[in-house]
Amino acid sequence: MFFTIIGICIGSVLFALLGYLIGGFVEGCDRRISARMQGRVGPKIRQPFWDISKLFKKEKASTNPSENTYITCALVLLVISGGVFFAGSNLLLSIILSTLSTLFFIMAAYSSRSPFSTAGGAREILQVLSYEPMEYFMAIIFYIVIGSFNVITVSLQPQPLIVYGWPVFIGMLFIQLVKLRKSPFDLSTSHAAHQELLQGTLTEMSGPALAKAKLMHWYETVLMLGWTAMFFLDARPESWIVAVVAAIVAWFLDIWIDNNFARVKWQSMISWCWGITLCTSIVNFIFVSLL
Amino acid sequence: MLAIGVLILSPLIAGCILLCCRGDISRNVIVALSSVVIALASIYVFVSGITSGPQFFTFESQIVDVVCTIVGALLSIIVLAFSIKYKNIWAFLLACIQLVGSLFFDLTMASGISVPQSLYFDNLTLVMVLIIGIVGCSICVYACGYMEDFQAIHANEKDRRPIFFAIMYVFLSGMYLLVFSNNMSWMFTGWEITTVCSFLLISYTRTQEAIHNAFRQIIMNMAGGIAFLAAMMYVVVNIHTLNFDAFLHTGVLDPALVLFPVVCFSFAGITKAAQMPFHTWLLGAMVAPTPTSALLHSSTMVKAGVFMLIKMAPLYAVSPVPSLMLILIGGITFCLASFIAISQSNAKRVLAYSTVANLGLIVALAGVGTAEAIWAAIFLIVFHAVAKSLMFLCVGTAEHHIGSRNIEEMDQLFQRMPKLSRAMMIGAMIMFIAPFGMLVAKWATLVTLIDSQQYALIFLMLFGSVATFAFWAKWLGKLAGVSGDPENIEGTVHKSERFAIGLMLVIALVLSATIPLSSAFVVEPYLVYVFGASHVALGPDMLVCASILTVAVAIVMLTGMHGNKQTRHIDAYFSGVAKNADLRTYVGAKGQVYAATQRNFYLDNWFGEARITPIADISTICVIVICFAIAIGHIFGLV
Repeated sequence: MFFTIIGICIGSVLFALLGYLIGGFVEGCDRRISARMQGRVGPKIRQPFWDISKLFKKEKASTNPSENTYITCALVLLVISGGVFFAGSNLLLSIILSTLSTLFFIMAAYSSRSPFSTAGGAREILQVLSYEPMEYFMAIIFYIVIGSFNVITVSLQPQPLIVYGWPVFIGMLFIQLVKLRKSPFDLSTSHAAHQELLQGTLTEMSGPALAKAKLMHWYETVLMLGWTAMFFLDARPESWIVAVVAAIVAWFLDIWIDNNFARVKWQSMISWCWGITLCTSIVNFIFVSLL
Repeated sequence: MLAIGVLILSPLIAGCILLCCRGDISRNVIVALSSVVIALASIYVFVSGITSGPQFFTFESQIVDVVCTIVGALLSIIVLAFSIKYKNIWAFLLACIQLVGSLFFDLTMASGISVPQSLYFDNLTLVMVLIIGIVGCSICVYACGYMEDFQAIHANEKDRRPIFFAIMYVFLSGMYLLVFSNNMSWMFTGWEITTVCSFLLISYTRTQEAIHNAFRQIIMNMAGGIAFLAAMMYVVVNIHTLNFDAFLHTGVLDPALVLFPVVCFSFAGITKAAQMPFHTWLLGAMVAPTPTSALLHSSTMVKAGVFMLIKMAPLYAVSPVPSLMLILIGGITFCLASFIAISQSNAKRVLAYSTVANLGLIVALAGVGTAEAIWAAIFLIVFHAVAKSLMFLCVGTAEHHIGSRNIEEMDQLFQRMPKLSRAMMIGAMIMFIAPFGMLVAKWATLVTLIDSQQYALIFLMLFGSVATFAFWAKWLGKLAGVSGDPENIEGTVHKSERFAIGLMLVIALVLSATIPLSSAFVVEPYLVYVFGASHVALGPDMLVCASILTVAVAIVMLTGMHGNKQTRHIDAYFSGVAKNADLRTYVGAKGQVYAATQRNFYLDNWFGEARITPIADISTICVIVICFAIAIGHIFGLV
C-alpha cells in the first residue's frame, strides 16, 4: 500500500516534468505538421513553450473568482492521473481521475456564465458522454487479457496486448480524436478563433488560467500517447521501440484527420462513438472468449 | 435486546406524542429530544453489535403476533377507507385481497408455527440501523424548519403537521421492526407499515395530483405486498417455518424447493425499490413534502426492498431464474433511468430517476450474489442514503428560497446561497464522481461484474454510468456559474435545516474518507459471516488512494473558489456588444437590449421519457412474466 502511494507520487512528479517537455514538443510538432498540411511554414518547434511562459507572465484577469480553483484542480488531477498511469499503477484509477479532471474543466467553463463558454462546457459533457464507455472497455479488456489492472504488468507479458485487444485498440484510436478535441470532434473548443463558438470552453480564460488549460491539453496528449503505446509493450526490450513508433503513427493519423475533416454535429459524434464502442467491444469480448 | 425494543418503540411513542402536539415550539423540542434519543440508541446498538458480532435473540411473543395481525388489518382498512372515499377500484380490490389474505394467513396458517428466535441482527442490519437512526432523525429535525415554511406557503390550507410528524416517526418504527425481525410475519408488518406511511405522506397535501400519485404508489406496493404474502404462504406450507434465517438455509441446500417464494420475494423487493416498470410510483411520490422524499423515497424505505434482496444473496448465487430476473431488471433500470435523467430539468425528478437507477444497480448486484458484489451493494446503499438525502435537503431548502425546484432557476445560486451551493455540489459529486464513495462502490461493481463474467450487465452499467456523468455534470455546471453581485438570501434558512444539512454533509464526507475502515470492520466481517470468506474487488491500496483524494477534493470544494485579490475582474465576452456584462445584457442589431440566457441541454429526442419509458416497460415486464411463468410452472412440475 505504502509503495503504491509513493509510486504514484513519484510518477506524478516525473509526469509533471517529462509530460511538460514531451507535451510541448509534441504540440510544437503538431503545429508545424498541421501548417505544412495547410501549405504554411508554421512556427518553430519551441514556440509552444514560449507561448506558455508568456501566458503565465500575463496579468491575472478573470470573469469570476472560481475559475482559477477549478482549472488548477483540473490540471493537478490530470497530472496525478498521468502519474498513476506512468507509475504502472491501476489503469481504472487513472481513467476515473482523468474524468474527474475533465469535470473540473467543465465547471471552469461553466463558472463564467458566458454564452460561448457555457455552450462549450455543455458540449464538453457531450464529448465525455461519447468517449467514456470506450475507455472503460479498454480497461476491461486489459484486465481480462492481462489478469490485472496494473499497467506495469504489460511489461511482463510474453505477447503485447494488441494481439488480443486489437478491436478495442481500434476503438481507442477513434475516441482519442474526441478526447483530444481534434476535428471533426472539436465541438467544445477549437484552436482557431471566430468559429461558431469562438473558443468554446476556453473563451473566457486568459493569462495563467489559459496557460493551465493549454498545459492540460499537453498532458492529455502525452497520456493518450501512453495509452496507445501500452498496447504494444511486452517483456521484450525491443517492444519499447515498437510502442513508441506505434504511438507516433497513431498521433500522426490524428493530425491528418484533424486537418482533413470538418466538424460534425453532436448527434453524429455520439452515434459514431457509441456505435464504434459497441462494435469493437463486442467483437473483442467474443474474440477473447473464443481463445 | 432491550436496546432493540427501545429502537422499535421509542419512535412510536414520539409519534403518538407528536400527534397531539399542535404548537411549533413544543413540537420542535419533542422532535429534537426524540431524535437525539433514537440516534444515540442507534449508535449504541451499532457499536455494541459490531463488537459482539451477529446475534439471534430467543424471543417469542404471542402478544407481538396479535399486535402484528391487528396492525396489518388496520393498515389494509386505512387503504380501504381511502379507496372508498376517492373511488379507486384497483386499490379497493388489492386492499380486500390483502386484508382477507393476511387475516387468513395469520389466523389459520401461521398460528401453529413458532419462531423461537424472532429478533436478530447482523452487520447489514446494523448498517441499516445507523442509516435509519442518524439519517432518519436528521431529516425529522430538518422537517421542523421546512414544514414551518411549507405551512406558511400553504397558509390557506389546514395545518396537518401533527399527523405529518406522527407518520414520519411511525415509519421509523416500521423500518426498525423490518430490519430486526427474523420472523417473516413481523417483517411483513414492518414492510406494510412503511408502504402505508409512504401512501399517507404522498397524499399529504390532498391535491388531486397528490391523491392520484398516492394511489399509484399503494397499488404497485400492495401488489408487491401480496407477492410477499404468497411467498410466506408457500414457505409455511412447504417448509413449515416462518424463520427467515431457516428459510435462507433451506433454500441454499435446495434451490428448486424455494424457487417460487424467491421469485415472489424478488418481485416484492423490485416493487419496493421502484424498479422499472414500477418506477413511476417513486416519480409520483415527489409531490410529497421534501423531507418525505429524503427519508422514505431515497434513504430508507426504498432501501427496505434491496435490504431484503441482499439478505437473500446466497440464494441468488445458486438459483439462476430469480438471479437473472434481478440482474436484467436492475441492469435495464440502471441504464435507462440514467438516460431519462438527462432529459429532466426538475431537480426532484432528476434525484428520483437517479435513485431508481442506483437502486437498480444494487438490485443487479444482489442478483449476482457473490461476496464481492455484496460488498459493492452495501456501500452503494450507505453512500446513496447519505448523499441522496443531503441532495434532497439542499433542493428542499433552495426551493423555499428561490421559489422553484427547476435546475434552470438555480442560476447564481453559488452567490445567493453560497454554503448551500457548496453542500449541494459536494453531495452531487459524492453521487457520481471519483474519488468519492459512490464511485468507489461503482468501481468495485465493475470489477465484480468482470470477475463474475456478467458481460451484458457491464454494457448496461457503463452506458448508464456515462449518462449519470452527463446529468450530474450539467447540474454542477449550473451551480458553478458566478456573475454579477446578487443578494445573499441564505440568512433566512432555519437553524434546524442548517443543522441537518451540515450534519449530512459531514457524515457523507467522513464516510467517504474512511472507506478502508468501514470496509475492514463492518462490511468484510459481514461477508465472512454470510459467505464464509470475504473478497473485496478493490485492494486496500486503492481504497486508501480514494480516501486521500477524497480529503483533498473536499478541502478544495469547501474552502476554494474565493479567487485572490490580485486578479482583475473582467467582463464576459459578448462579441463586443455588451450593455451590462453583470446582467448578461447586450445590444441587438437594431439597438434594442436583450438579455443572454443559457439553458442546459436535455436531449429530449434521444433520452426523453416518451422515447425510453416504453422500451423499459416492455423489456422489464417480459422479464417478470417469464420468470413468474417458470416459477409457477415449476410448482406444477412443468419446468
